[in-house]
Amino acid sequence: MRRLALAAVLLLGACSAGPAPSEVVPRSAAAPQPANASTVSAAPSSAAGAPSCDATASLRPGPLPQAGQMPAGSTMAKIAQRGRLIAGVDQNSFLMGFRNSFTGEIEGFDVDVARQIAKAVFGDEKKVQFKVVTSAERIPMLQSGAVDVVVRTMTITCDRLEDVDFSQVYYQAGQRVLVRRNSGITGVEGLADRRVCVASGSTSLGNVVNRAKTTVSVPNWTDCLVMLQQGQTDAISTDDTILAGLAAQDPYTEVVGARFTDESYGVGVPKGQEDLVRFVNGVLERMRTDGTWSGIYGRWLTPLGPAPAPPVARYRD
Amino acid sequence: MVIDSQPRQALVRRFTGLARSTPGRLSLIVVVLVVASLASGWLTTWSVNRQERALEDLATRSEPLAHAAQEVYRALQDADATAASAFLSGGLEPSQLRERYEADIAQAQAALSVATASSPDLTATLAAQLPVYTGLIETARSNNRQGFPVGAAYLREASGLMRTQLLPAAQELYRAETDRVARAQDEANFPVVPVLVALAFVVGLVLIQRYLTRKTNRLLNVGLLVATGAAALSLLWVTTVSVLVMNDVADSRDASEKVDVLAQARIATLTARGEETLTLVARGAGQSYEKNFVEVSGRLEGLLERAKALESTEAVDQALREFRQWQQVHQRIREADDAGQYNDAVALIGNPHFDSLDQSLVRSIGEARQDFSDEVAVARSSLAGTAVGVLVLALISAAGSTMGLWQRLKEYR
Repeated sequence: MRRLALAAVLLLGACSAGPAPSEVVPRSAAAPQPANASTVSAAPSSAAGAPSCDATASLRPGPLPQAGQMPAGSTMAKIAQRGRLIAGVDQNSFLMGFRNSFTGEIEGFDVDVARQIAKAVFGDEKKVQFKVVTSAERIPMLQSGAVDVVVRTMTITCDRLEDVDFSQVYYQAGQRVLVRRNSGITGVEGLADRRVCVASGSTSLGNVVNRAKTTVSVPNWTDCLVMLQQGQTDAISTDDTILAGLAAQDPYTEVVGARFTDESYGVGVPKGQEDLVRFVNGVLERMRTDGTWSGIYGRWLTPLGPAPAPPVARYRD
Repeated sequence: MVIDSQPRQALVRRFTGLARSTPGRLSLIVVVLVVASLASGWLTTWSVNRQERALEDLATRSEPLAHAAQEVYRALQDADATAASAFLSGGLEPSQLRERYEADIAQAQAALSVATASSPDLTATLAAQLPVYTGLIETARSNNRQGFPVGAAYLREASGLMRTQLLPAAQELYRAETDRVARAQDEANFPVVPVLVALAFVVGLVLIQRYLTRKTNRLLNVGLLVATGAAALSLLWVTTVSVLVMNDVADSRDASEKVDVLAQARIATLTARGEETLTLVARGAGQSYEKNFVEVSGRLEGLLERAKALESTEAVDQALREFRQWQQVHQRIREADDAGQYNDAVALIGNPHFDSLDQSLVRSIGEARQDFSDEVAVARSSLAGTAVGVLVLALISAAGSTMGLWQRLKEYR
């Protein structure tokens, strides 16, 4: 009888269940992304009514004036009077325009081109103030007169020629794709079902937006590398020059596929300053002939292969 | 029901019968007085206890928590500005900046664990995102150390996380904790109902004595006199103490307002410093940072003026002077940067005015917090012994009433 009662008590005890043991649940939060990252669904509104022109034909230079003796009343004379050239450059594109974190100085291929222009005006390549501009800021900064020239991996296009002027081509780049080494992507064809990152306001954006499943845009190219390293994007697609700089910062990435566009870099000059365009073209001509161009290439761009011949100048006079 | 109503009617009849005869009436009065004195005493003791608890909460919980929340915000803000400065310096980061960053993170973590004990929900975002933030900063550092510009991109991402998630969460936490201080101050307000009840009890005692004098032709009743004295003393005690406490709490409110204004000023100082640094890091693309600097500086000046209006201490005056000098140096930094003398601008940013301003604010905040602590301590010491005293007086009052009326009752036997 007593045993029965005990069994009953035990049974009852089993029935009156306590609350389920508590669980520790972490607060779920989205992984951080670069500031101002956004998904792009359509190419910028240029494609439809794109003007056609002979984009890479620039203005023929006259004889280059002596440094320190700019023709009176010219744009260069105004720059000389100020005492320094103001150049819009990048500080985020390794090899082309970047901040040397040991010295704090801005360096790179584009930066050396800007220094050559300063040297032609002043005879001193140090008389240049660098203003960092993002891809999207290049044209507004030229239009507002905040910078004299923009030397920042800027592709010459008919679209842009509506708003600014360009020098002759100083570098011939082409768009390719940067991926993680084990991604299985072998070229731009492999992007159809992938997420691709590009910088906003770049020509690369329009070239890739219809070939990728999703396109994400960020302010700077290094922001794209951050997203690739954080696994938030599968590939980065832009000019091989920029990609080489990104690949040099991460040995687990590689540049794949052939060039699928031609990107002709020119020095951006405010619209209507023909004298400055001709002057810059003269500087570029000199760099090509006296070996400076090859020297600068060798200093920065050897990861892209041995120095090619400098681009051939084309003029519309 | 009918059967039931019989005894009830009998009870009512007994009571009305009692109330009709004088001895019956006296017995009823004894019961009423004893119940009333004990009830009034209990009510007053309860309200005094409540005030004591509110003051204790202020001194040992709410104010320290509000301070911890403010420290979370301050340390995070400073960590972010310091990380940006370390990047700006070029080359290997200066060790004092790295130490400052590490101290900030340690301080934020310590303050956060204090705050988590009271508001686990409000600190969840902070607790989850702070390690993510420090991880991004370390990634930025290791890239920077190899000379890779992607380090700067990680720094921007970290800073974005700080501005969009961590700082707003810290701000919310600070608001919640300062609201808690205000609520605790409200709890320590004047106990209107208990004082009114005690007053009614004293008036009742006086009326009963007049009634007895008329009925029994005796002028004085020692028991009831003692009871009235005790009740009046209790009323006087509670009223006086409550007025004192109210005064101290009002002063403590002024002190908390000062702390709040100064804490906001300190945060604005650090924010402005961060914007000033980032303007230079951005190298020409920093117009938005400069715009923020101007805006935050305007707010900071307003806060410092308000702190001076609340109480013009030496430390606050010093802070205002340092602020003005800093603004002048900032003008020179902008002029140098805009004129292309970037290195001069970077050299100027190491001026001592920002640090002096911050230290003056730390001193002012310390003084205001001490004021607050003093006011609350004074209030607590005025309340000391009140609860026990009021209870003893209530018992004396009850005993006096019983004894006083017992004498009269005996005369009817």
